[in-house]
This record gives sequence, C-alpha cells and structure tokens, in this order.
Amino acid sequence: MTGIGMLSVEDQMAIESHLKDFLVKSESQWAALVDRGGNLFAENGDIGQVDLMIMCALAAGSFAATKELAKRLGESEFTALYHEGAHMSILMTSLHFDCLLITVFTDKTNIGLVRFYAQQTAATLNESLKSASESAANAEPLQVDSELSGETNIIS
Amino acid sequence: MAFINYSKREIQLKIVYYGCALCGKTTNLVKLHSGINSTQKGELVSLATDADRTLFFDFLSLNTQTLPGFDTRFQLYTVPGQPVYNTTRQLVLKGVDGIVFVVDSHWDKMEENVESFANLQENLIENHLSMAQIPYVLQYNKRDIENPAPLHYLEFTFNNRATRALTFEASAYNGEGVLETLNGVARLLLAKYSKSAGGKAGGAGKPAA
Repeated sequence: MTGIGMLSVEDQMAIESHLKDFLVKSESQWAALVDRGGNLFAENGDIGQVDLMIMCALAAGSFAATKELAKRLGESEFTALYHEGAHMSILMTSLHFDCLLITVFTDKTNIGLVRFYAQQTAATLNESLKSASESAANAEPLQVDSELSGETNIIS
Repeated sequence: MAFINYSKREIQLKIVYYGCALCGKTTNLVKLHSGINSTQKGELVSLATDADRTLFFDFLSLNTQTLPGFDTRFQLYTVPGQPVYNTTRQLVLKGVDGIVFVVDSHWDKMEENVESFANLQENLIENHLSMAQIPYVLQYNKRDIENPAPLHYLEFTFNNRATRALTFEASAYNGEGVLETLNGVARLLLAKYSKSAGGKAGGAGKPAA
C-alpha cells in the first residue's frame, strides 16, 4: 500500500501552501507531492507544457529504481535523488507515508539552497501527511449516485 | 492504492497490465492510445530498449467523468515481461488498484504464461497484497493466430477458482478486445464508489468455455 487514500480540501490547501512557501525560499520552479505509486497529491509552480501525470510516474519510477542500488550499499533506500541538467535539474526527497517531494529548479538557483529548504519542507509535509492520514482513516468511504452497471462503457 | 482528491474532485486509479514476455501488454496500450477518441488521454510513454522490448514500464493516463462530481483518472502501466526484470515488476506493482493479466494463446507460451501468473501472485505478496484483494481480469490475447489454445483449456489453467475472474478474448494487434478488457477492469474498480452498483459492476466479460 502506498501513500494516503484521500486528501480533504483543508489538507490540500495546507500542503499547497507549504509547497508555495518552499518554492519562494528555494527559488525553484515547480514542486509536487506524489506517492511511490506515481499519484499526484499536490503541486505548485510552473513547469510549462509538461504532462504532470507522466512527470509523476517517471519520477516515482526513477526513485523506486534506486532502491536496489541502495540495498547493495547497506541502505534501506536513498533519502534523496538528484538529477542535474545543463539548465533544469530535479531533486526527489523521500517523505513519510511512502510519499516523495519532487522539486524542479533551473540554473538560477543551486542544489545546496534547494536541498536545504527541501529538508525543512519535508519535515513540515510529514506533519501534514500524518494529519491527512488520520483524517483519511476516520473518513466515510466515498459513495456517489451513479448509473454504473455491468454494461457501462467507462472509456470509449 | 486509489487516491481521492476532494479539492480537485478527482479519483486516481492505477491499473497494471501483467503477463509473460511478448504476450501483448504494450500492444494493448498502443492500441488504446490510438483508438480512444472521446476520453481525455495523455501521451503514451514507453521506457523500452532499442529493440522495443519494455525495459521499465509503459504509461498511459486516461481521464473520464463516469462518476457524477468526480473526474476519474486511470493510470495504465505495463511491466517488463522478461524474467530477468522481476525487481522492476515489483516496483511497478506498488500502489496497484487493478490488474489485467494478459495470456498469450500460443500453445508453446503456456509454460511462460503459468510462470508469469505465479510470479504475479508472488510479487503481490512482496507488496503486501494478494489476488483476493486486487480486482483483476484475464485477457486471452492472440485469438487470431492459427490453432490457439482452446478457451476451456485457458479457463481451466488460469481461472479455476471459487470466484472466477472476468475474461476477455482479444487480438490486441488488431485492436480487438482491448477496450472491452479495459472497461471490464475499470467497472470493477469504480463499482466500490457507486451506490447503484453496490460493488458488483463486473460487466460484460466472456466467462469462456
């Protein structure tokens, strides 16, 4: 099981606020909270025309792929993963509840600054995730009125 | 694990296409991507080798509005079928909500099919899951080949359980049966959120034989 099952409107607003604050301090371009399964929980900033779902799936996959490498070194997993480009770079930071903080930044800032604030933000997001997880555990299961039947074509 | 975002009124569900090497998992996603019109679809991403063998996974995101008041985003993944990539299969299964197990109808692929089915169950256990927990459907693919394994044989081999899974005949290469398969597993996943379905919107699969 990965991540948390749901985010209330309040939890979402709190997390987005943390991400926004992080972007300002670290001078990064875009930040997102995703789970290890590739689900996008919350995001803030501007990354242009990139498909966010693909971005999250690839980032989660990339992070997961390093786990075996970490094991070979006697680590259960790496706590952060950094890919450096000529102009754009990405930092992935491990969070509790099987989640990740993904940060995309340009060469206008630097990895030291981004990593410093990412660690601070990770602690804050972990608190938010703990609160969201407790809310999710106590929430009623989602049930909506729909005409779904054995013949319904959901995708066409 | 399904994720419900109340702020964006969105449900995200992860479906994994599983099966032995060259059984047609990637072909399913390619045909879905080219054939789907009305559903909002993303780009098809393939992490493959130069020879078009899946190295990590293929990924396709589809957005529908089946449940009133909520967007439903289906995230479709394939796994690499080659035995050597087992760790990768375990990683892709993380957070899975539904599974399409693709069976190759060639007689000489039966042993690989069976090994892959057993491997799926082992890898679910590695992810603290089981076939009893995760909704899944069976797709009997390559029904267009000459002398395919008969359906009653496939049913006996892969669907001989107290609770039988929905099955779909397909020729993914020709685009036949791929949409029906996806709709079958999607109905199973959405049934738990629908009052009218009461968790039993299985669907129009073909319990073969």
